[in-house]
Amino acid sequence: MNMKISSLNVIYKNKSHCIHALDKVKLEIKAGECTALIGESGSGKSTLANACLGILPKNTCFSGSIALDNSPLNYCNEETINQFRWKKIALAFQNGAANLNPVQKIIDQVTEPLLIHTDIDKATALKIASQSLNKLGLSPDQLLLFPHQLSGGQLQRVMLTMALILDPEVIILDEPTACLDAITKSLVANVIEENKHKNKAILLITHDLEFAANNSNTIAVLYAGQIMEQLPAKHLLTSPKHPYTMALARSYPATNTARDLGGIKGDFCLRTTHNNHDQPTHRHLTHNKLHGEHNTNHIPIDGCLFHNRCTQELTLCKHQKVKLIPQQDHHIRCLRNGIVNILELKEASKSHDGIVALHKNDLTIKAGEVFSLVGESGSGKSTLAMIAAGILKTDSGKRIFKGKNMDELIKYNYKSLSKQIGFIFQNQSSALSHRFNIFEAIAEPFRIHKITESKEELLVLVKKLLTDVHLPTEEAFLKYYPHQLNQGSLQRVGIARALALKPSFLIADEPTSSLDPSVQAKVVKLLLELQIELGLSMLFITHDIGLARKISDRLGVILQGQLVEIGPASLLFGTPAHPYTKFLIDSAAGLAKIYIDHNQTTTPLKSGCSFSMHCPRAREHCHQLAPQIKLHGERLLACHYPLPDYIKQHQSNLYIKQNISDQDLHSKTLSTIAS
Amino acid sequence: MDNTIANFGNLLKIQLKQQKQLDLIIAYGLAALTMTYLSYSLPNLLPGDFVTTMYSNSFVTITAEQEAELRNFYSTDAGFGDYIIRLLKLDWGFSYSSLTPVSSLFFSALPWTLLLMGSANFISIFIGFVTGVEAAWQRDSKTEKTMVSTMTIMEGIPEICTGVILLAIFSLHYQWFPAAGAETAYANHTLIEQFLDVAHHLALPLLSLIFAYLPGNFLMARNSMVMVLKQSYITTARAKGLSALRIRYAHAARNALLPVVTRFCLRLSFMVTGALVVERIHSYPGLGTLLFNAIQARDLPVIQAVVLVSSLMVLAIILSLELLYGIIDPRVTHAH
Repeated sequence: MNMKISSLNVIYKNKSHCIHALDKVKLEIKAGECTALIGESGSGKSTLANACLGILPKNTCFSGSIALDNSPLNYCNEETINQFRWKKIALAFQNGAANLNPVQKIIDQVTEPLLIHTDIDKATALKIASQSLNKLGLSPDQLLLFPHQLSGGQLQRVMLTMALILDPEVIILDEPTACLDAITKSLVANVIEENKHKNKAILLITHDLEFAANNSNTIAVLYAGQIMEQLPAKHLLTSPKHPYTMALARSYPATNTARDLGGIKGDFCLRTTHNNHDQPTHRHLTHNKLHGEHNTNHIPIDGCLFHNRCTQELTLCKHQKVKLIPQQDHHIRCLRNGIVNILELKEASKSHDGIVALHKNDLTIKAGEVFSLVGESGSGKSTLAMIAAGILKTDSGKRIFKGKNMDELIKYNYKSLSKQIGFIFQNQSSALSHRFNIFEAIAEPFRIHKITESKEELLVLVKKLLTDVHLPTEEAFLKYYPHQLNQGSLQRVGIARALALKPSFLIADEPTSSLDPSVQAKVVKLLLELQIELGLSMLFITHDIGLARKISDRLGVILQGQLVEIGPASLLFGTPAHPYTKFLIDSAAGLAKIYIDHNQTTTPLKSGCSFSMHCPRAREHCHQLAPQIKLHGERLLACHYPLPDYIKQHQSNLYIKQNISDQDLHSKTLSTIAS
Repeated sequence: MDNTIANFGNLLKIQLKQQKQLDLIIAYGLAALTMTYLSYSLPNLLPGDFVTTMYSNSFVTITAEQEAELRNFYSTDAGFGDYIIRLLKLDWGFSYSSLTPVSSLFFSALPWTLLLMGSANFISIFIGFVTGVEAAWQRDSKTEKTMVSTMTIMEGIPEICTGVILLAIFSLHYQWFPAAGAETAYANHTLIEQFLDVAHHLALPLLSLIFAYLPGNFLMARNSMVMVLKQSYITTARAKGLSALRIRYAHAARNALLPVVTRFCLRLSFMVTGALVVERIHSYPGLGTLLFNAIQARDLPVIQAVVLVSSLMVLAIILSLELLYGIIDPRVTHAH
């Protein structure tokens, strides 16, 4: 049975103000599929679940319709809706401890729906209930206990069993894994899988992004009561299209990412309006649109709700209404049509005095992400950084910065471009003029861009920057010259100077390579903090693989002037596909030895793959013909013979999936857990 | 192996539970013993005695010898152990003023108090609880608001006031109900007639007690029900598609019961003192009246007996309340 929610509005009324919990939510939960709903707490996820069952508090206005197989439910009449509750739509509540009656035994509460809604006699009902509780790993003695005697995870399983007891058509799971350990989580995953096979419609509400990505078909992302993005589950962690989804994914501690957790800048938006006391309160929802006065009563926030936390907001975002726009398998509510590319390089090439530094590279950097570029020294990393910053010219190819041709910007309006790009140089002691003291060095960008001329204002601005980078702001410090500072402090001065003009794009060229690990840790932490706080996009150039692993959202591997693998950092580190990527990662840990093919007969041509000499997987034509960079799933790859691990990974996933449907193994795991 | 350990564990658990209850009973027993000892030593601590009361204001003059003899006759000091044995044998001494055994006075008054207080408490708790539950369910409706304000005002009127008003209206003015007594004396009634007669006499004191007890019960039931209705498990019950009646009673009222039961039991334990005023006003021959008269006559054995029994009753009821708690709220049993 499909459940269709269309233009659902929910407004909670208080004495003084209204809270807009849901705003025109449209969602279809298809039979045989699991739809996940994610978002921060307070975004209206549980409200949606409660609205489906018509159990919102009394002082609530709602309009819109919820339909089961095209027949809208009438929530006005308790009698009729009671026919649907639990029998057709059931909800496993979030908090087992609060949602179970404290003075009734577990088994009685689970049995209750059976006794009320069906003709089953008590003995059979008890038997059914205890069997299904056992199935989720609760022992028979535990069934006779009261809720306060069980742990949070056990109670959550009780809630789940209770929801499934009548075999409903639509199952809503509100945070089913919140209190569960990893092993018990897999039981819930099994339950979801089983019910998908039984052609049930499942709505999974969760904070657990990885669980959602692996167990659902589509995912809807809710923010402040609006669906921001609806996307196929597999894209959630690796290639979301909305800035909010990306920020969420980056805040989630997925098991395969090594990156430090990033947050979302700013605070969660709660939509409230002051109450108009003359308005009568409407308690119920009807299937036809009712109470036209709602629209007059509710003062809409004009633009995008996420604009103040977004990494790519425009002034227009604040004022223009945005709709959820379908795009192939995605639906996105974003004025800019999802995450934009802050920088695009197309076939960019550069050679210094005939020596090729970069050869036809395509690279895109998305707004708000940290992109790391790794490679050997001399592979063209710094050249690429300079080109990206607009400091160097390209020999051929195109550069697009924020949708505009960069070369033209450099020609006609270099100042506006340089204001938007910050650059942290590798060696600060030479990057800072030894004639400038700290104050002058940091104030220089303000002077050049004519932000202010007055000394007092400059002092305020400089001090603010110094505080941001955790440096002292005393007069004495401001008068220091670069040679008087240590490396870590100098690097911070460099960061402060790069951030002075509030750039939207920061390029850091080996910012920490000259620092010892403890200072490096501090500087990197600072950079990441500022990156989140200011919503920067960042290109991070490093030869330090370990560091790249800690900071990057996406990773690019460059080999002799050519990018050979680009993709989400977790994928590249987990299962490198290009032999060179693997070689780099292994070398970083001191594991790899340089492979030299002694049986090599033909000398590699210039047009061949640059790694072919050292590649254990190289075949004859690798030496002659360089592979083109192509899209393989989530990553771009330039290799004729990608690594077997990468191929095997796809197969091993399938292997696990087959096991899940295997009933024998299923019951076996259960019995081991039970014992 | 595991099984035996589990069994042993269970056994230990049960034993622990029993041990807990045994401790409880021992503690209450000790308290009861202290109470009895106080009651035993009470006469010697008080100034004035029966002999003084009887003869100080009379025209009969007695010699010191006679006085000592009388004192000796009325006081039966034979040690605490003896006192307890006599208590258990229901040999509670003779009333000074009416010269009948105290126990026979006591047991002739007890049924009337039990009848009056028992029915008053049960009726007011039942009506109060049900109306409280219903009122909380219809919170913010006009009926509920009127009920709450009426009950709050009623809570402020003392039973002495309602008693007198009822007496004035229904007994003096309309003469529908008798003004005193618990049954018509020397009447030759059939069983049904007797029953009606008792009910007829009971009506006014019962009504004034119900008026006194009902508002408090109602307000408490309503308040605790309002709190319960806010809990998440009520939402669960609604989501399960249960009927409103079932949600109200099987889920909500069951949880709202605890404070109401506490109040009920405390009321019940103060049965004798609670009945004193009303029994006096309506001249109802219960323990309250007995106690009142005894105090007036400085009839020590009677006072002693009534006070002792009523204080033991408080203990007994609180003990049973403690055991009852575990049943109505399982969380109490497992609290550390």
